[in-house]
Amino acid sequence: MLDLIEIVRDNWVLLLIGQYPYGPLGGIAATLILSVVGILLAFPVSVALALARLSPWAWLRWPVTALVYIVRGVPLLLIILWTYFLLPLVLGQNVSGFATMICTLVLYEASYLSEVVRAGIQALPNGQTEAARSLGHGYVRAMRHIILPQALYNMLPSMLSQFISTIQDTTLGYVINVQELTFAANQINNQLLTKPFQVFFILAITYFVVCFTLTALAHQVERRIARRRLGGGVAPQIIDGVVMPAAQGPAPVGEVS
Amino acid sequence: MIQFSQVNKWYGNYHALNDITAEVKKGEVVVVCGPSGSGKSTLIRTVNRLENIKSGQLLFDGHDVQSRTNTSRELNRLRSRIGFVFQSFNLFPHLSVLENITLSPMRIHGMKRGLAREKAMQLLDRVGLANKAGAYPAQLSGGQQQRVAIARALAMEPPAMLFDEPTSALDPEMVGEVLAVMRGLADEGMTMMCVTHEMNFAREVADRVWFMDAGKILETAAPRDFFNAPQHPRAQRFLSDLRSH
Ligand SMILES: Nc1ncnc2c1ncn2[C@@H]1O[C@H](COP(=O)(O)OP(=O)(O)OP(=O)(O)O)[C@@H](O)[C@H]1O
Ligand SMILES: [Mg+2]
Repeated sequence: MLDLIEIVRDNWVLLLIGQYPYGPLGGIAATLILSVVGILLAFPVSVALALARLSPWAWLRWPVTALVYIVRGVPLLLIILWTYFLLPLVLGQNVSGFATMICTLVLYEASYLSEVVRAGIQALPNGQTEAARSLGHGYVRAMRHIILPQALYNMLPSMLSQFISTIQDTTLGYVINVQELTFAANQINNQLLTKPFQVFFILAITYFVVCFTLTALAHQVERRIARRRLGGGVAPQIIDGVVMPAAQGPAPVGEVS
Repeated sequence: MIQFSQVNKWYGNYHALNDITAEVKKGEVVVVCGPSGSGKSTLIRTVNRLENIKSGQLLFDGHDVQSRTNTSRELNRLRSRIGFVFQSFNLFPHLSVLENITLSPMRIHGMKRGLAREKAMQLLDRVGLANKAGAYPAQLSGGQQQRVAIARALAMEPPAMLFDEPTSALDPEMVGEVLAVMRGLADEGMTMMCVTHEMNFAREVADRVWFMDAGKILETAAPRDFFNAPQHPRAQRFLSDLRSH
C-alpha cells in the first residue's frame, strides 16, 4: 500500500501529462485528448456511414457496408498496425504515432457507431417519416429536422458507452509508441524495475475511475432522456442501453392499458 | 380537386385498388367507408403518393400526382399542399406543440419565425389548445395530439385535407373533440376526404359517401340515400352489421 502511494507521489505528473512540457503531452491528458478527438471526429463520420448504408443507392450502400463489416471483423490492433504502415505510404511523409492513432480510432469507432446510428434511425416508427414527407419535407430535410434529432438523442447513452470503450481502446496506441497513459505507466515500470504489480495496479485503477465515472454519467443521461420522453413522472423504459422512443399513437403514455 | 381515373394498385398478387374512378370536387366533403381491409387507407394514401399505383391517373388540383416524371421537388411541393392526418397522429415527439406546427411553414415556405408562431397560435386557438403550445406530444391526450396534428397540417394552408381514420385510435370520450374540429373545417368549405367509421359524422357532414369493398368503390351516394336506401348488397350488409352493434 505504501508502495502505491509512493509511486503515485513520485510520478503523478508523468501519469497526468507525460513529459510535457519537455516532451510530448502524455499520460491521462493524452488518453483523454485521443478519446475525445477520436469520438468527436468519428461521430459525423458515423452518421455519414449510417446514412450511406440506409441510402437507396446500391453503389453507395455496398462499399460502405463492406468497409463497416471489415473494420468490425478485424481486431483493433491490426487496424492500428495497418494504418501505421500504410498512412506514411499513402501520404508520402512521416506521420506521428498520435496522428496515426487518431486516424485509426476515427475509422474504428465510426464503424461501430454507424451501426448504432443506423439502429437508432430504424427504431423510429415509420409514421415519423411518413408525416414528414406528407408535410412536404424532402428526404434530406426529413432526416435533418425530424429523424436524426430523434435518433441521435435516443442514442446519447450508446454514444457515451462508445466513448468509454474508446478510452480503453487508446491503450493499444502503446504498440506504436503513442505516449498516453499506458505508455507513461510502462515508463515508470521501466524506471522502478521491481514493482510491476503495483505500477500496473495503479494504471488499472486510473482507467477504472475514469470509465466508471463516465458510465455513471451515461446512466444518468439515460434516465433523464427516458423521463423527458415520457413526459415526466413515469418509470423509464430502457432496454439494452437504448432508451426506447416515446410511444406514438393509440394512447398517450401513462394511459396505455 | 382530387380525380381518380382507372387507378389500379397491387400488393404482390393482391389487387388492392381495382379500377377506381371517382372525384372529390372542390369544397366537397367525401367520407370513404367500408369493411376492414377493403382498401380505404390504400386509396387515400395514393393521393399524396405515400403509395404508388400500377396504372391509371390521379390528379390533385390538376397536377398528375403519380406521374413517373415528377421530380422529387415537384412531389414535395404537391405534398405540402395536401394536408394528411394519420390514425396514429405521428406528431414529432422531440418538438413542442408549437414547434410541431411551425417547423414546416418555416422550413418549406421560408416563413419568418415570428409570423409562423403567430399563425400557429391562431391555429391552436382554433383547435382549442392555445394553452398547450409549450407542451410536448407525450404530455397530451390522444384527442389533443390529434387536434395538434390537424393544426400542423393546416399550417401549410393546404387546399384539401385527407383524414385516415382520425378517431379510430382514440378513447370514446375524445372522439367528439376531434370530430368537432373536422366539422368546423367542413363548414368553412375545406375540401375533405375522410376515411372514418363515424357514421353520424358521415350522415351530418359529408356531401358524398363512397363505399368500398375488396379494392373497389361499389357505391357513391349522398349520405341520405346511402344510409336510407343503400343500393349495393354489400353496402346493405355493411350497414346492417353496423346497426346490429
Ligand atoms: N404494405 C402492404 N403490403 C401488402 N398488403 C397490404 C399492404 N398494405 C395493405 N395491404 C393489404 O391491402 C388491403 C387493403 O388494406 P388497407 O389498409 O387499405 O385497408 P383498409 O380499408 O384501410 O382497412 P382498415 O379499415 O382495417 O384500416 C388489405 O387486405 C391489406 O392486407
Ligand atoms: Mg385503414
